[in-house]
Amino acid sequence: MPRFDEGRPEMTLEEFRLLRDHVYAHCGILIHENMKFVMERRLWPRLEALGIQDFGSYHRYLRYDAQRSAELEAAVESLTTHETYFFREPAQLKAFCEELVPILEKRNAHTRRLRLWSAGCSSGEEAYTLAMLLKESGRFDDWDVEVLGTDLSRRVLAVARRAEYGPSALRATPPDLLERYFIPVGVNRVRVRDDVKAWVNFGHHNLSDVAGSQLVPRSDVVFCRNVMIYFDLAARRRVLGVIRDRLCPGGYLLLGHAENLLSLGADFELVHLKGDLVYRRPELPGGEGR
Amino acid sequence: MSDTMQSPAGQEEARYRALQAVDPRAPSALETFTTGLHDESWRVRHAAAEGLRRVPDAPGVTARLISVLGERGETGARNAAAEALAGMGPVAVPPLVHLLEHEDPDQRKLAADILGQLGRPEVEDVLLRALSDDDLNVRVAAAEALGRMGGDAAARALEGLLDAPTLLLRLAALEGLASLKRAPPLERVMALVEDPGVQRSALRLLGLYAPGVATERICRALASPVRSVREAALVALGKQAVGLGPYERGELDAVARSVLSGIPGVTAHVAQALDGDDVRVRAGALVAAGALGEASLAVAVAEVAREDRLLREVLFTLGQLGPEGRRLLLGSMGTLSLPARTVAAEALVLLVDSTSVPELCALLEWAEDDLRAVVVRALGRTHSPDAVAPLVELLSDPTLSAMAARALEQLTVAHPLEALAALEAAVEQRTTPAAVAVLGRLGGARVLPVLRRIARDEDASWRAAAVEAAGRADGEAGLELARGALADESPKVRIAAVRSLGQQGGREAATFLGLALKDEDRGVRVAAVEAVGVAGAKERSPDLEALVRHGDGALAMLAVRALTKLGTVGTGVLWDALSHHDAEVVKAALPALGSAEASADGAALAMSLLGHPRWDVRVAAARVLGGMGRPECLPALQQAMSVEQDALAQVALAEAVVRLSGR
Repeated sequence: MPRFDEGRPEMTLEEFRLLRDHVYAHCGILIHENMKFVMERRLWPRLEALGIQDFGSYHRYLRYDAQRSAELEAAVESLTTHETYFFREPAQLKAFCEELVPILEKRNAHTRRLRLWSAGCSSGEEAYTLAMLLKESGRFDDWDVEVLGTDLSRRVLAVARRAEYGPSALRATPPDLLERYFIPVGVNRVRVRDDVKAWVNFGHHNLSDVAGSQLVPRSDVVFCRNVMIYFDLAARRRVLGVIRDRLCPGGYLLLGHAENLLSLGADFELVHLKGDLVYRRPELPGGEGR
Repeated sequence: MSDTMQSPAGQEEARYRALQAVDPRAPSALETFTTGLHDESWRVRHAAAEGLRRVPDAPGVTARLISVLGERGETGARNAAAEALAGMGPVAVPPLVHLLEHEDPDQRKLAADILGQLGRPEVEDVLLRALSDDDLNVRVAAAEALGRMGGDAAARALEGLLDAPTLLLRLAALEGLASLKRAPPLERVMALVEDPGVQRSALRLLGLYAPGVATERICRALASPVRSVREAALVALGKQAVGLGPYERGELDAVARSVLSGIPGVTAHVAQALDGDDVRVRAGALVAAGALGEASLAVAVAEVAREDRLLREVLFTLGQLGPEGRRLLLGSMGTLSLPARTVAAEALVLLVDSTSVPELCALLEWAEDDLRAVVVRALGRTHSPDAVAPLVELLSDPTLSAMAARALEQLTVAHPLEALAALEAAVEQRTTPAAVAVLGRLGGARVLPVLRRIARDEDASWRAAAVEAAGRADGEAGLELARGALADESPKVRIAAVRSLGQQGGREAATFLGLALKDEDRGVRVAAVEAVGVAGAKERSPDLEALVRHGDGALAMLAVRALTKLGTVGTGVLWDALSHHDAEVVKAALPALGSAEASADGAALAMSLLGHPRWDVRVAAARVLGGMGRPECLPALQQAMSVEQDALAQVALAEAVVRLSGR
């Protein structure tokens, strides 16, 4: 029986490091040495698409070709796992709804304005989930609400804007919410309802790009779940700096269940909710910056 | 003061910020930070511990921290002090070794714990002595510390503890040996697997042994009603499988299969483990699933691909589940997660035959490019004429067209007429210029009239495709079209002409390439430099030599490569290339140093690059020197090896030293 990868070029350790360093310099994503096989496998289709014979040539293509910027984006897209689905990590979402949402309603009652940022939103499931949960709470019906989803990959943002999903994305969606917030559009496919879409915006953003982060509005809550896993310590600190800057004082940061800010300094306060641990940007003295 | 600042959180924030603002060089810093170690907030204590590491008087700080360790009742402060000491490095070693002599066993235990975290090999002897401490907790802490950083003596000592009368010590010994990856005689561990108190640790240690008896015992543990025992067994099984060659892996699978197939309900246990949180358990579950060859696990196996680190094992396991497993995957495509769908598609490629085209075309409806790329490859492997039409259609997809073209080439072997007819129709219907390129490659001289017509098309992409395709279809016609195309107003067409000329070769092509090397467009010049090398146009060497000094790294690097290909690299040019600011140019020049002409100066040049700031240049220089076979380079290589910090460069230097020493 033939192997899966017959006829494909192998990536030398040297090529791996050159490509890894190039990707890291671009977006802070660090690929560990034990992931060489994964990198090789994920980049094969790129070599095939470009008609390039080996990974050394691919590295030179990324450095010199006129299309290098677009190709670097394509490479990073291939290297990151865009695995997400609606209502992922329900315990955290429950804590958000039951404990943070009432606080946000009270805090922002005078402005009736709410901003959430889904950083590393992939194909949009998380951003739409948040909008649905806010709708579900019934607290913000006549508020100015925006959930901003950002991602490094332009391709997944296109999927997010289309807002059409299949069974895999919906595998954790409760049936009643499926009925309330989605419209069937074909066999096994649904589209997010327009009133939910109206609360959600998407944009391209490299979390490592400190200057570019100025385009992200100040948010009351940032969801940055399962994104930090791609960064090394230095890049995590940089990204956390960006997030802290874009959070309103007193605003909350929610990470994935396997992530924490230990050994990253303590620019955030750890807040023990009943159902989860979350982080909060400390209030400024005297409440300024609200 | 505002409400915010008066709140507990605000006060904590104020203390935290105050500590962060402390200048560690200030005379009072030591006491301020030490006070901070006693704060009620972990954030403040953490900030204090970090601050202490920055105080310049390291011995003074260490002494103060040691005194905090002695403050019974101040658990938070003691933990923070331990954290700070563990971060102090070698300076903390002498006082901690001294603390191991303290009369209070609690102090001695803390000292052993911190020494373990420091991980300094020079304290191995001290910790070995602590294994004879009167206090059990100290002995356990010393065993755990040795398990973190010990050498041969530590491993022997831990092995000696396997028979200790105390459960805790036996546990620490087992865990330590597993952590050190030191396998004691198998029979000793096998005996401990029967001891319920240490069974899980013993099982995990069994993962260090070669497939065989250990595999059998590990797999028998999967019959345990206790989940944690089964998980420990799976961790061991996964560990055993790591890095095995095909023969040993086959042996492991055979043993595992014979045991697992006799365990009732094992498939359900494996399925549960495949969905678990611990990546090591999932890795072992993949091995078990593969050994069982249980097709019903296919979906669960594919879903493990969500964990990047297990991708290789997932692909291997899917290959073990046979056609039935892959058929199950195909039926579940719609509900699989994206990573699972991608690996499932890879598995599918091996299954396809001439009847698979409709199923594959259905998969093309999925949006993910990586999955569609796999499907395109699979279509080429079907050897079915039904695959021609969808592949021709895919030529218009920019992401997939190159792969579709290659798949079409595969199909053309079996169905040349169908493929050419479909391509001609696609060209007539102006589907995509990519169809022209494939048509030229597959159709030969018979499609020249079509190509000549398209070479006059108003769309530059079509003209470019025709010019390049003509070069592949017929040399003479290709040269004629390329010459005309060099005067095209579109750089895209001129680049196509240059590539075609590179393929043609010959004196006339060389002349035209000389013009292209001076083109106003950078893209054309880059293509021309490459084409000169491909065409073997030695007469263009002077043009290339001038480009080696070019500030554009791409042009300079390609010029060096082309000159190397032509075999016309002179020493002067090499010197220019090796001093280029772009490391890729330097690396491109290095292989030319071994040539006969350059070899006299080449060794000296390569040796000078052993100190280059870039690791990849140092690696390339070491390889070149290794290949030159000049023993006089040995001292320079050895000297470079003694100061090299980069792991890859160290390996390259060591290999070069071995090669030169052996001559």
